[in-house]
Amino acid sequence: MRRKLQFVAVLLTAAPVCQAQQPNTDPLKAMKEDNASFTLTESQLGEDDDMTQNVIMVNSNNNVYTSNVGYLFSPMRFKFRAYNSRYNDIYFNGVSVNNAENGQFNYSTIGGMNDATRGVESTMPFESNRFSMPGLGGSNNYDFRASHYAAGSKFTLSGCNRNYVARGMFTHATGLMKNGWAFMGTVGYRWGKEGFVEGTFYNSLGYFLSAQKVFNDKHSLSFTTWGNPSERSQQGASTDEAYWLANNRYYNPYWGYQNGKKRNSRVVNNYEPSALITWDYQMNDKAKLTTSLLGRYVMYSSTKLNYNNAGNPAPDYWKNFPSYQYNVWDPTDPDNTEAALAGWWNSYNTWTASKANRQINFDKLYFANSQLNAQGADAAYYIQAKHNDHLMINLASTLNLDINKNSKLQAGLQLGTNKGMHYQTMEDMMGARYYHNINTYALGTYSANDPRVQYDLNRPNAAVGEGDRFGYDYNLYVDKLSLWTQYTYDEGPTHSFVAAKIGGSQMWRKGNMRNGLAALNSYGNSDKAYFLDGGFKAGSSISLGRGNSITLGVGIEARAPQATTAFVAPEINNDFVSNLTCEYLTSFELGYALNSQWVRANLTGYYTQLRDGTEWQNYYFDDVNSFTYVSLSGVEKEYYGVELGLQFKLTSNFSINLIGSMNEAKYTDNTNVSYMLSTEGYSESDLCYNKGMRESGTPLTTASVGLNYRIKGWYLNLNGNYYDRIYLSYSPSMRFHKPLTVSGSIDNEGNLIIPDQAEGDGGFMLDASIGKQFSVGRNKKISVNLSLSNLLNNTSLVSGGYEQSRSNYTVNNDGTLNNVRTYKFSKNPKKYYAQGFNGMLNINYRF
Amino acid sequence: MNTKNKILHLIMVMASLAGFGSCMDGEWDAPDMSTPPYGNNYLTEGTLTTIAELKTKYAGEIADRGFKEITEDLQLRVVVTGNDMGGNLYKQIAIQDETSSMIVGINATGLYPYLAVGQELLINLKGICVGGYGKQAQLGTEYNGSIGRMDDAVWQQHVRLVGTPDMAKVDTLDFNADWNMEAYSGALVKLTDVTIEGADGKAVLAPEDGSVALTSNCANRNIKGLSKSNVVLRTSTYSKFANLVIPTGKVDIYGIATRFNNTWQILMRTEGDLHIK
Repeated sequence: MRRKLQFVAVLLTAAPVCQAQQPNTDPLKAMKEDNASFTLTESQLGEDDDMTQNVIMVNSNNNVYTSNVGYLFSPMRFKFRAYNSRYNDIYFNGVSVNNAENGQFNYSTIGGMNDATRGVESTMPFESNRFSMPGLGGSNNYDFRASHYAAGSKFTLSGCNRNYVARGMFTHATGLMKNGWAFMGTVGYRWGKEGFVEGTFYNSLGYFLSAQKVFNDKHSLSFTTWGNPSERSQQGASTDEAYWLANNRYYNPYWGYQNGKKRNSRVVNNYEPSALITWDYQMNDKAKLTTSLLGRYVMYSSTKLNYNNAGNPAPDYWKNFPSYQYNVWDPTDPDNTEAALAGWWNSYNTWTASKANRQINFDKLYFANSQLNAQGADAAYYIQAKHNDHLMINLASTLNLDINKNSKLQAGLQLGTNKGMHYQTMEDMMGARYYHNINTYALGTYSANDPRVQYDLNRPNAAVGEGDRFGYDYNLYVDKLSLWTQYTYDEGPTHSFVAAKIGGSQMWRKGNMRNGLAALNSYGNSDKAYFLDGGFKAGSSISLGRGNSITLGVGIEARAPQATTAFVAPEINNDFVSNLTCEYLTSFELGYALNSQWVRANLTGYYTQLRDGTEWQNYYFDDVNSFTYVSLSGVEKEYYGVELGLQFKLTSNFSINLIGSMNEAKYTDNTNVSYMLSTEGYSESDLCYNKGMRESGTPLTTASVGLNYRIKGWYLNLNGNYYDRIYLSYSPSMRFHKPLTVSGSIDNEGNLIIPDQAEGDGGFMLDASIGKQFSVGRNKKISVNLSLSNLLNNTSLVSGGYEQSRSNYTVNNDGTLNNVRTYKFSKNPKKYYAQGFNGMLNINYRF
Repeated sequence: MNTKNKILHLIMVMASLAGFGSCMDGEWDAPDMSTPPYGNNYLTEGTLTTIAELKTKYAGEIADRGFKEITEDLQLRVVVTGNDMGGNLYKQIAIQDETSSMIVGINATGLYPYLAVGQELLINLKGICVGGYGKQAQLGTEYNGSIGRMDDAVWQQHVRLVGTPDMAKVDTLDFNADWNMEAYSGALVKLTDVTIEGADGKAVLAPEDGSVALTSNCANRNIKGLSKSNVVLRTSTYSKFANLVIPTGKVDIYGIATRFNNTWQILMRTEGDLHIK
């Protein structure tokens, strides 16, 4: 029996990772990844589902470039090949966990569980694996089986000046015990009353518990549950003018004073309790079946200060700026009168006189509401929360067959159903007594007694109190089935694979309110949309001898559109975007690798083409004087570039890394656009001149030099990183045909002048880390490491942002040009700057 | 520590950490509102003047559609009679005292929440301008050679909110088309038993479809049933009641009686200012 158990232990430990990355035992690498998981998984840009920025944790031990970029460039939100993170497929014990609606994986779901998530098999877009057809942006399969965690305990304490200031984690794993049971648990708490950015706090608990019973040499059952109740407040992007006035590139317009205390208007609450059951069935020496069932309930809410029939209370609202008063971009502007200059000074003095003047004044908002109570009027200011809740149930089964020593076959299915619940609630009425569920944006276009101003005709003029739903309330349903297979074979110096998948999905909307703008088309179920998707991939690596090898891969894929982009205006009605189709992806990759005693090198070129994509945004569009829901369809893009990774081992304890990439990621053609007005409920069509616009929020050019030194248990690392070509998210409406024509953006030959996409400054960042591991007894170790980022305190590096989707001009009711505004939205994109000098001290004790 | 104890220990650590994880945003108490957070609370009452005195003193500038900066230490103690709640008065309020009424131009939107009808104000006149916009007496600052709206920052320095809104302090005058325009322009008025021209059961107050000529995005509708014909109901296409169907019968209208040269322009403040008979 004992021998059997030993065999099972070895089998279970070895099998899932025979192709995977080993859990980190290298303390330097563990430290780097710990640091990276901080910046990647806990940055507010990566964990909020309403941000355009997102991250990809790509990794591969076989590639110097990809094994480093994930953590190395994380302070700049580097996106692998500038791909959207929905192309990065994430699995837990083989079951897909990407969000069914937007395709993305929210890394905060495993935040604070660093010790639980080290066992991950990461593969590149054209590397074979044992759990899926590899994703366009790589695939990661986290192993959550309790028996796979090394037995022992670990206590970690960290202090830093980033999004939080303190972290404590405790982990214990039993390993596989004689009775066939294994347990693992980890709990972590991260806290910060105020993070690097003023007015932000952080409060997050993470827990992870896993139990596994190995019944015999064939069967094992694993149960894992985790969750991360988190609460954190956000940083808002602002313009360079605001940063100049505040004399601070981390000026945060989202907070303000209430009763003298700092209050942030944007608070994210997130809790995703999850449970995973995995049955491993070793059918025989050559066949293994893994089946996992995942259940997850996501509770996500994000608050926002809103206003009703009142002035915008945002302190960095454009009318509050000095440049609203005086045209700083053209001193010869005839409107630059003495009065205008006096206005500039008034505004400047207001901004700079005190910090309170450039933050939200909650006291004023409460006062205004209290005055309205006396008049019996609705709240002018309130805090609302948008909720994106999900109930997700996914099932996966994977069969691994070792056909012979040279060939293997994998096949599997992924089955998933997701119910997304999207609604808005009143979080804080800020002293007001009254609010009603009325579309105040439509009021005026329609009179108060017109049914079209009702958000819910089933409950017209409903009084709204704190906790009540208002504005919109709908569910999205997505069901997916996917079958995949992969065949790998080794022949002589070649390792090759072919993989294919085919699947189907259906999606529909169910409205829980009958919106007055779509009385017959908003309440109840929409039609269902069905999609057939699938793909094919093949790749090969060919050894040329003496450590030289080349790799090549090709893939084609049709992907069903995301539910988040499939509807014209899901907050209002049941309509699907017209011409909704799968998007088509074609990708190629060619690489060269050298592995010798003193040098490892990788040079990779890639090309990906996207066709028939669908994108969706919503924002206020000046030209129609309305909030709009904007759908871009038939999107065509190209992604291509080269990636270089070099590692020189100069001595046994000193190495140099050279990393760099040149990426291009842009629209290759202009795009048809349709936008629906939230004030009137009808749609208009136009052409968006977005050809040449680049993917945003990531440096497209990167370069890095790293020095790694180890001596007597110490490890030191110094990295100089260079970033460039950082584009900001472009505004589609600034490039619609009609606005360009109306505003006279036409050259002498009659051609439209398309505005260049706004860019942020790149530059150089120096990072360092130092650490040491001490033995303090038998099997007891203490590790200490200190990570310092941006040593030179370069605060001019832009990590992301967006163009403002508003116009430099106003139009008349008939759509003709009215006048040109003094304030130039086109010259005032909103930006985020990468954090200045910051550090993290990490101490852990293993026993 | 054996494994069982370690697991127990882990659970205890988790439970204790869960205790730490209490809500940080929490419940927020309403601020102390005994001192208004709007305006200049350091402003103390000094030498008071009246709106009538002001209109008389600057009658020339008002009549000539000009402006003049007030350089004396003078103050007004007034009550708000009209604001931008309905979006028809735009970036302005109407004020009155016992003697007369006028308009204050402020370059800001969303004034009504703190400048409620009935709110008493102390306005320091020194440093701001008085003038005439279409001969309508107005406080503000210079804009392109005539009276314009003052910056919100300027306004906040020159005003103090006194007490809480009290409708009892608001006088509504019965409109008389024969009134002296200089004296009464800017007043809150009531027009009784009048009809609005253009009412056909479908037409709305301020349509954007071109059926009515617009001036500065406003529609003027003649008011009938008065002793003179120079009275219009002026409604902005941006007002909340722009698309209200005009009643075909007799109505009572409340509003601010402004003048544009020799025309009375009645500005309803909210939809509630229209009373169908």
